[in-house]
Amino acid sequence: MKMKHLKGIALAAAAVVGLAACGGSSESSDTTAAAGSDYSNLKVAVVYIGVPDDKGWTYQHDQGIISLESELGIEVKRVENVPEGDEAEAIMEGLAAEGYNLIFATSFGYGTPMARVAARHPEGCFQWATGAKFLLTAEMGGEFATFGDIPANLGTYFGAAEEARYLSGIAAGAASPTGKLGYVAAFPIPEVIRGINAFTLGAQSVNPDATVQVSWTKTWFGPDIEKESAESLLAAGADVLAMHQDTTATGLAADAVGAKWVGYNSDVSEAAPNAWLTAPTWNWGPFYIQTAKAVAGGTCPSDEYYGSMADGMVTLGSFGSSVSAETQALIAEKTAAIIDGSFAPFQGPVMDQDGKEVVAAGTKPELLDLLGMSYFVKGVIGSPKG
Amino acid sequence: MRVPFRVGFEQRGETPRRLSLLVPLASVFAALFFGALFLVATGHSPIDTYSNMFQDGFASFNGITDTLALSTVLICTGISAAFAFQMNLYNIGGEGQLYLGLIGGAWAGIALGDHLPTLLMVPVVLLCGALAGAAWIFVPAFVRSRLGTSEIVSTLLLTYIGASLIKHVIYTPGSFFRNPNTSFPQGRLVADSASLDSFGSSRLYPTFFLALIIAVALYWVVKRTEFGYRINVIADSPKAAHYAGINANRTTIWVMLISGALSGLAGAMLIVGPYGKIEPSIITLGYGYAGIVVAALARNNLGLIIVSGILFSGLRVGGNNLQVTTDTPIHIGVMLQGAILLFALGGEAFRRYRIHVVRVHDVSTKKVAV
Repeated sequence: MKMKHLKGIALAAAAVVGLAACGGSSESSDTTAAAGSDYSNLKVAVVYIGVPDDKGWTYQHDQGIISLESELGIEVKRVENVPEGDEAEAIMEGLAAEGYNLIFATSFGYGTPMARVAARHPEGCFQWATGAKFLLTAEMGGEFATFGDIPANLGTYFGAAEEARYLSGIAAGAASPTGKLGYVAAFPIPEVIRGINAFTLGAQSVNPDATVQVSWTKTWFGPDIEKESAESLLAAGADVLAMHQDTTATGLAADAVGAKWVGYNSDVSEAAPNAWLTAPTWNWGPFYIQTAKAVAGGTCPSDEYYGSMADGMVTLGSFGSSVSAETQALIAEKTAAIIDGSFAPFQGPVMDQDGKEVVAAGTKPELLDLLGMSYFVKGVIGSPKG
Repeated sequence: MRVPFRVGFEQRGETPRRLSLLVPLASVFAALFFGALFLVATGHSPIDTYSNMFQDGFASFNGITDTLALSTVLICTGISAAFAFQMNLYNIGGEGQLYLGLIGGAWAGIALGDHLPTLLMVPVVLLCGALAGAAWIFVPAFVRSRLGTSEIVSTLLLTYIGASLIKHVIYTPGSFFRNPNTSFPQGRLVADSASLDSFGSSRLYPTFFLALIIAVALYWVVKRTEFGYRINVIADSPKAAHYAGINANRTTIWVMLISGALSGLAGAMLIVGPYGKIEPSIITLGYGYAGIVVAALARNNLGLIIVSGILFSGLRVGGNNLQVTTDTPIHIGVMLQGAILLFALGGEAFRRYRIHVVRVHDVSTKKVAV
């Protein structure tokens, strides 16, 4: 397993210990072997923002949890439809009180409640998906005075979806006769902006004049408004739509007018087989398994895990019939380059919307710059401010 | 096909005292029985489920403190709704006024910095939240009193605008309410002096007692003051109020402004309590809408709001925790909460109407005989 530290944060986090500090994968598996197959001391729970049958974000996490259950032969407690905020804190407090000693929470808004519960339950291990611990410091609007005050039994996990976004952009650019692409996007936050930019750069790699028009829905899960946004982009002339949403509404809208669709989260080509090109997808299972094994062995990973295509957390879904063999070969080539590190989606030169160079030729942006990305690249139509 | 009997409703003049107690109790039992059918059908033990719900909502330390913490907000939005409803003013936009309370409270908490001591700062934040809530209902109140425009529509629609406003102040880079140090959209923390501490290891804040005091104070206002008397007269008969020389327009505006202020106060209580900043997830929680249900359960009686607010909160906390302590799926917990509310409200019919079943002897009966 390959892991990356968040630069700068790592400096502040001198106290941070964890799996990533061990480095190589061989050491991790040694620990696992030592722990043996006795997981009787392990009680795992997961807090979901939605329900596992959403065929999107939560579904994909649940697939990972299922693989954890079968790998370790344990049963994981699922708590579904938990709103972010106070009530999430009550639920996580309840889980900790019930003796759950490894708790995963799958949404950004669970950070503060989870950190509070982690502080009260040093015996447990808490993992916050899509989080970043520095956001919990007072300077960043959180409630811990310094980074060192953040509980050491709290870890975060997320991954470089931008890698698969770039590859899906290649499929979209190649499938678009007009070069006019559309993007149904949830919130103007760095995670989403990064995805739009990577997708755009991917499309422009095969179609230099390609443009990507963005429509903000300001919701993760809103089938109606997602559909309306998709229809407005199609009406404006887009012939391929991508999305950063939790439902398949965008795909259905594209399918209805014979346009193409790049999904997200899950490989759900069956939702609209004719429109389907591919999708950036998540594979959370390996992280869940490795974390559970570490906790059973007595270590709570408290690092900021940032997965990638190289470690398999980020994947690209299956190809639809309209992705040509030639395009598939090109994508395979880029995939290999991303995995071996010889290529990165934001490899310079990268220009922003105004034509200003934001990444110099021959360089790659730092991870922290990626995580805080707030500009659109050249060719994106719309405002990164929402 | 004709049914050989007919159900008649006859309005009761005065509700018998025994029914006032019997009907709510019977409603709750009917709901529990109804829920039990579903539990048994899905292979869950009703007794275990209910005892867990009670345990998690009321009978454990975390349960009861979480319940009282949630009730702090719901009592405020509950009296906000009931105070307007009792004068037949249907302010169903408490949700939106609560958002504005969050914004108004956060503004004061940030802008006034650490210039004031906590003892002064917290009341100022609460006042600003209440004023923002009142401001949000001012236009609906004004057009309701002058033009008779339906406040149901105007207050509801303003809630959607309020939700957009919350998103706007958090997701717009450079926004005053957004933390300036990071490109992640997070609310900016209010000053330390604007934050209260919770009691011990609980999530209960002193604002709970303020909610109780306000509920009792408003009960007194309605029962004992001239302003309360005017409200009662207008509610009973606007015409009689007019002949008695009561200015209904002015009372309408005041009642709606107070109602809006109470929902705004609920939002500001979140600022000085658990949030300390604007949390955009507030727009998914529905605390303002829940206030309407709390008011309905208390039959708009301001004295009973405290009871219905705590009961409803316990139901929500216990229902949420069902997933944690048992294998009951989330849908069952939500269904049970809904069933109890539906039956409790439906029971009203028995309290207000005498219901009798009459046998009908007509042609259809003969046909069956033939």
